[in-house]
Amino acid sequence: MKKLALFAIIVLIFGTMSPTLVNHAYGQNDPSILLRIAVQADKQIVNQLDKKYENKIPNNINILYDKGHTAVKSLDQSLSINDIEKAKQDFLLAMNSFMQISRIMSQSSEKVVVVTVSENSTQNLQSKLDRLEKFVKTLESISKKHNKIEQNRDEFTKAYSLIENIRNQINSGENTFENINDLKNLVNSIKKEIRNSIAEKQSNAIKNFFEKFLAQIDQKLIEAKDLDRNQIKIDKANELIVEIRELLSKNQINDAKKVYSELKIVLKDIGISVKIT
Amino acid sequence: MSLLIEPIQSKKSLGDEGILFVRNDSIFDTMVKVPLLVASMIIVAALLPIQSSFSSPRDLDLIIYPDGSTHVSTEIDVDPFLTDYEVNLFGNTIDNLVVIGDSGFLLDVDVIDDTALIQTFGSSVITIEYDIHDLVSKQGRLWTFSLDSPSDFTLLLPKNSAIVGMTNLPLNMEIINEQNQLTLSSGSTEIDYFFSISTISNTTEEIVNEEDNSSNIIIVGIIGGIIVIALVSVIIIAKNKQKNVKTIDEVVTIPKNNILDLETIFKLKPDLREDDKELIKFIFDNNGEALESELRKNFLQPRTTMWRAVKRLEREGVIEIEKKDLQNLVKLRKSMEEEN
Repeated sequence: MKKLALFAIIVLIFGTMSPTLVNHAYGQNDPSILLRIAVQADKQIVNQLDKKYENKIPNNINILYDKGHTAVKSLDQSLSINDIEKAKQDFLLAMNSFMQISRIMSQSSEKVVVVTVSENSTQNLQSKLDRLEKFVKTLESISKKHNKIEQNRDEFTKAYSLIENIRNQINSGENTFENINDLKNLVNSIKKEIRNSIAEKQSNAIKNFFEKFLAQIDQKLIEAKDLDRNQIKIDKANELIVEIRELLSKNQINDAKKVYSELKIVLKDIGISVKIT
Repeated sequence: MSLLIEPIQSKKSLGDEGILFVRNDSIFDTMVKVPLLVASMIIVAALLPIQSSFSSPRDLDLIIYPDGSTHVSTEIDVDPFLTDYEVNLFGNTIDNLVVIGDSGFLLDVDVIDDTALIQTFGSSVITIEYDIHDLVSKQGRLWTFSLDSPSDFTLLLPKNSAIVGMTNLPLNMEIINEQNQLTLSSGSTEIDYFFSISTISNTTEEIVNEEDNSSNIIIVGIIGGIIVIALVSVIIIAKNKQKNVKTIDEVVTIPKNNILDLETIFKLKPDLREDDKELIKFIFDNNGEALESELRKNFLQPRTTMWRAVKRLEREGVIEIEKKDLQNLVKLRKSMEEEN
């Protein structure tokens, strides 16, 4: 019995700790990726230095580059002898040196700008369009999930056709402002449409949730009464529950949610946690 | 007269004629305390993952667009007994925000600065998708991505971007459609990148070519070893399966197109989930195989959700997973065992 219990305890301890172990092991699956990233960074830095300084590289940058390049070589060696800890250190040293170089090189030119959507370069317009396309696809997948795709088919076709038009306009350097606005409006209307088309289903789900939830609150209020908690507040809570039930029966879900917010405050005053498990 | 109570363990053998007196305490020790201890350990072990899972993202995937804007997609476990859930967004310049509950419903959300209050109403998992413009800054030609992440995450960098500095060790790196995808650990991360003319695939090829012959020999040796081990395992598994074949009701092998048709698959596996069936349909229409990344793209699912689905189907024996160019190739199995 004792042996069995001991075995069970060991299994449980290992079971509890195993997710952490797996997580660490994951990073060490393929340490060669560190070398790939570092070599790629090294090459980029050399390219940038050649472009910017040709043969007149400032001394401070030269020192940093030597430090980084040596670390890349060391990383290669560390990996060949399977010294993972040393490889990690080498990688961080190399990437840190390259990071410093790239920042020194960039400092001289322009101020830091947090990227905003207002810029209208081709790159920005394309990114904007890509984001909108992703949004359309997300909505399409929601629509499919609720079998409403036929209902929204025309809107999605129109959206994809607009996306194609805008892409052509970007490529030919035309003004896309109007079409992008149309696309945004269309996407918003699709979102509303989906929301409306699944509203009934969603309302039923919320009602079911409230039913279970309110039943548990009823129970908690009975217990609170037995514990001689503030009777006025308990009565108020009961009134609000009745009101929520009435609103739910009339399908006024949003109003029910608002009353529920009031109920939460009253329950807190009584000392009932809203989180009922 | 003092009564000395000796522990049962230390008592000498009383022989056949002796009467065995057992202390109640010892019975309690062996019969009650240990099971109690085990039971409490089970409870602790069961509760720990639940406690840590609520309110923490189970999935976090980021995509950086060429203009520096970032698409965030996250899946969060929430307490199904709560009516709302507050989540901190990664900034306050948010676009295209969608929050989906676990029944696929669009959830109502109020955004105040960088906080979103989501009306979850019974959802146990919520998916949040939005675009954000706060995570990437630009200085000259240098782009810097900065994030203090609450969990491990994947980061897909734009095409033709080349990393020139980073503060964290990556957990993994993959190339998806000529784009670098890094898996990074939680905490503060900064990544500097430039846009280069040469594509990433070329760069990686060059890197691979640069590796000396000796390392190639080692790699070939390792791969050879793995193949030999895999072959031996396959033979052993095949032999075991041959032994088990009598106990299985039916093994269906359909030579036409080398893969089973959909009807047969669904007949053999009647308990498959609807979304899994959709996956199977997609793979079937794609000549019986598809990359996991293609599935993710088509079904707009985060990486781990799709991974779980693929693993589920592998467990069901519907598909098999192969590695192809560092990616998972999902293939419909040519034969399948009927569910009992």
